[in-house]
Amino acid sequence: MKPTVPKKAYRPRASRAAASGVLKTAGQTTKRSGATRWANTWVQSPNWFFGFWIVVALCLVIYTLNALFGQVHPGSAWGLSYGIAATILFVAVFLYALRRRLMKVRALGRSWVYLQVHVYGGALFLLLVFMHTGFQWPQGVLTWWLWALSIWVVGSGLLGIVLQKWLPTLLSSGLTTEVHYDRIPDLVSEIRRRAEALVEDADYAIRTFYRDDLAPSLTGPETHLAYYLGASDVNGRSRQFDALGAMLPAEERAKLSELREMVQTKQEIDAHYTLQKALRGWLLLHVPVSVVLIVLLGFHIFSVWYW
Amino acid sequence: MAAKPKRKGFFSRLRLPVAKEYVYPSSRTGMFLVGGVGAALVLGLFAFNAFVQEGALVSNGPLSSNHASFGGDCQACHTPFQAVTDDKCSVCHEKYGDEIGVHTFESHYLYRSADFTRVVPQPNEPACFNCHNEHVGRDAPITEVADALCLQCHEYGSFNDGHPEFQAVADSLEDPNLKFPHTLHVNEVSDREDLVDIEQACLYCHNADDEGKNFQPISFDQHCDTCHLTTSVATPWIPVASGNTVGVLTLESLRSDGRPGSLWTYYTNPGEFQNRGETVRKTPVYHQDRWVIANLQRLRRLLYPSTGLADLLLASGDVDTREARALYDEALATLRTYAEELRSSPERTVQRELSQVEDLLAVVERRLRDPYAPLDETKFAVSLAERDTSLTDDEVDVYESVVAQLTQPCQQCHYVENATIVRAKADQRTLIRAEFDHSAHITTTRCLDCHNAIPIREFNATESTPPPAQDHAGIQNLPSIESCFTCHDNGKAANTCVTCHLFHPDKSQHSNLLLYLE
Repeated sequence: MKPTVPKKAYRPRASRAAASGVLKTAGQTTKRSGATRWANTWVQSPNWFFGFWIVVALCLVIYTLNALFGQVHPGSAWGLSYGIAATILFVAVFLYALRRRLMKVRALGRSWVYLQVHVYGGALFLLLVFMHTGFQWPQGVLTWWLWALSIWVVGSGLLGIVLQKWLPTLLSSGLTTEVHYDRIPDLVSEIRRRAEALVEDADYAIRTFYRDDLAPSLTGPETHLAYYLGASDVNGRSRQFDALGAMLPAEERAKLSELREMVQTKQEIDAHYTLQKALRGWLLLHVPVSVVLIVLLGFHIFSVWYW
Repeated sequence: MAAKPKRKGFFSRLRLPVAKEYVYPSSRTGMFLVGGVGAALVLGLFAFNAFVQEGALVSNGPLSSNHASFGGDCQACHTPFQAVTDDKCSVCHEKYGDEIGVHTFESHYLYRSADFTRVVPQPNEPACFNCHNEHVGRDAPITEVADALCLQCHEYGSFNDGHPEFQAVADSLEDPNLKFPHTLHVNEVSDREDLVDIEQACLYCHNADDEGKNFQPISFDQHCDTCHLTTSVATPWIPVASGNTVGVLTLESLRSDGRPGSLWTYYTNPGEFQNRGETVRKTPVYHQDRWVIANLQRLRRLLYPSTGLADLLLASGDVDTREARALYDEALATLRTYAEELRSSPERTVQRELSQVEDLLAVVERRLRDPYAPLDETKFAVSLAERDTSLTDDEVDVYESVVAQLTQPCQQCHYVENATIVRAKADQRTLIRAEFDHSAHITTTRCLDCHNAIPIREFNATESTPPPAQDHAGIQNLPSIESCFTCHDNGKAANTCVTCHLFHPDKSQHSNLLLYLE
C-alpha cells in the first residue's frame, strides 16, 4: 500500500540532550572516552546499566532472605509482593508503547527514559516473575502460560536489543548504499526496468544471461541469511560476469559492466531488505505476544482476587 | 510543452532516484490487532473454562492427593472475593460444630498445655491456607509447614539457634513421688535375668508402646511385683480403734460400717489379719491394698474433715494440669463401683435414686470425653490448711504415727503426705510439647548415649550403686536439647519445627470420629 502524504511533514525534534551534544538519537550514543568498545556499543547509559544490576542484586538478596527466613510460595506475603512488584513494573514497561504513540505530547517526558524503563524494567520484570514462582516450573495451565509468555516477551525484547545494536553496524560497515526499507520494492522495480531497457538491444549472450540468470532475481527483493554474515555476492554473480565479459567484444562489455552495477546494487538492496526486515520483524515476535501477556496477566490478577 | 518530471536528486553509483516525498514507515497497528485478537481468544478460552467448565485451566496447579476429589469444584473451597476461608475447611475437618475445634488456633494453644488462659486470639494467626499450600501438585506435602510460619509467633532463630531447652529439663521436673534408684534396679535385673547388654535391663521395665515411639506406663504388677510386696511382707502391729484410742478398723468393723465401696470386705480373706491384744496386723500386703487404703482414707477424714473428692482416689491428686483427666477418670470409676454395690439392694427408693445417679454419671462421662472440658486437679488435693483445727498437735502426732505404721510397707517405694499416698508418675512421657519417636532413634544410637544424667554404665560395671544424690527418681535422666544437635543440625538430620512438633492436637484426637459427624 502506498503511504499517504501527511499534511505536515514529520520533522524529528532534537532533544535537549542531543542539543547539548551528549546524545545524538535514542539509539545512538556518543562514545564515552575511557569506556571499552563493548560498553560503548551495548550500554547507552551507565547509570541505568549499573542501577539495573544493583536492583537485581538487591532482589536476589531479598529472595535469599525470603528463602532463609520465610516461605517461598506465590501465595505467601513475600511471593505476593514479588508478583505485585512485577505487575507494577510491567505496567511501567508497557507505558513505552503508549509514549511512542504520543510522541507529540512533550509533557510526558523524554521517550529515552521510557525506553530505558522498557528495557531494564522488562528484564527486572522477568526476574520478579521467577521470584514470584520460586524459580520453579508453574503447576497450573494459566500460570504456565503466564510464565512462558513472560520469558518469550522478555526474550524477544532482548533479541530486539541485540538486533538493533548489531544490524545497524552491519548495514553501515559493509554496504555502500543506504535505502529506506519502504522504498525497496520501488527501487527494485526501477533497477529491473533499467536492466531490461539495457539488455533489449544487447548481445544475444547478455540477453540470455539476463533472461536465465538475472531476471528472476530482479523480480523483487530477496532475503538471504548470508547477509547476516556480511556477505555481498550471495549468488556468485561476479564469476559469471567475469566469465561472460571475457568472451564479449569491448562494446558489449560496457553494457555488461553496467548490468553488473545494477545487479550489485540490487544485492545491496537485498542485504538492506534482509537486515532491515529483521530489524522490524522481531517486533512481530514481541508485540502481539506482549498484548496476550497483558490480557492474561490481568485475568491472573482477577482470578487471584476472585478466588 | 510537456511538463518536465520533477526530480529531487539521485543516490548511489546507479543514480537511483530519491523519494519524491516523505516516506512514512508502514503502520504497526496490525501487530496490536493480531495480539488483541489472540488475547481475546485466549482470554475467552480461560474465562469459559473458569466460569462455565471446571476451571482446570485457571487453577494454579493440581490439588494435593488429600483434596484431589475437589478438583472440579472450585466453590468447595473458594468463596468469590474472599479466597479460601477457614469455614470451608471446617465443612469437612470439623463437622461437630465445637466452638474451639481441633484445627483452630484455640486448640493449638490448649494442645498439651490444657491451659485455657492461653486461649486468647493473637493478631497474626494465619488462615488454614497460609500454612497448607494447595495447588502445588498431587504429591505436594501440604502438612509440611515451613518453619517461617511457626516463627511468626515463636520468636527464635531455628531449632539449632535459640530454641528453648526442653521444658522437663529446663524446669528440672523432678519426680520425687517414688523412691527409685535406677542403678540399683539395673544391677538387680541384669543379675537376675543374666543380661549381657545393660540396655536390655532398661527395656525390662520401659516397654515400648505398639508404635515403638514412647513407652507404656510402668505397672506394679508387671514390673515390680516379682520383688516387691512378697507374701512375707506385713504391716507392723497397729492399734485397733476403740473409744478414744486412735487406730485402724478391723475387717469386721469396716464391713459393719457399710460405707460406699466396702464390698471388698465381704470377699477378703480374714486369715490375712492377725490380732494381738488391741492391735492388728495384715500379711500379706498387696499393692493398693484395700484394707490399708480404707483405713488411710478414714484416718485422713479424721485429720482433714473437708477433703471432699480426695476419697475417690487411691493416691493423691498431685498431677500436672494436663494430666488432670486421669484423676477425673479414676474418681468416676470409683463412683461407678459405689453404684454397682447398690445394684443388689432390694429397696425401690434406692433403685430409683441409683438410676438417677447412673444417668448423672453418664452425663459426667460424656462431658469428660470433650478434650477441652475445663478440669481442675486441685479439687482432689489435700492440704495442711484443711486439717481439723480442733485437734491438738499431740493428737495429730498420734494420728500420723498410726498412718506411718499403716503405710510402712508402702513407704519402701512411696511417700506419704497428709495421710495420703503421694501419686507416682506412671506415664513416662516427659516431652510435653514435642513428639519423639524412640524406635526411629534406637537404630542409630543407644539408650544410655542420650540418657546419661545418671552414670548407670559406670556403676553397673563395678556392681555398685551411686550415692542418692547422683541417682534417685527425681533425676529424670533426660538428655538436654544439646544432645539432639549432634544429629539434628543444618545439613544433617531434619531440624524443622514439624520434625518434632504438631500444630494440631495429636492423632488420638484425629481418630475421634465423633468430631467429624454432623
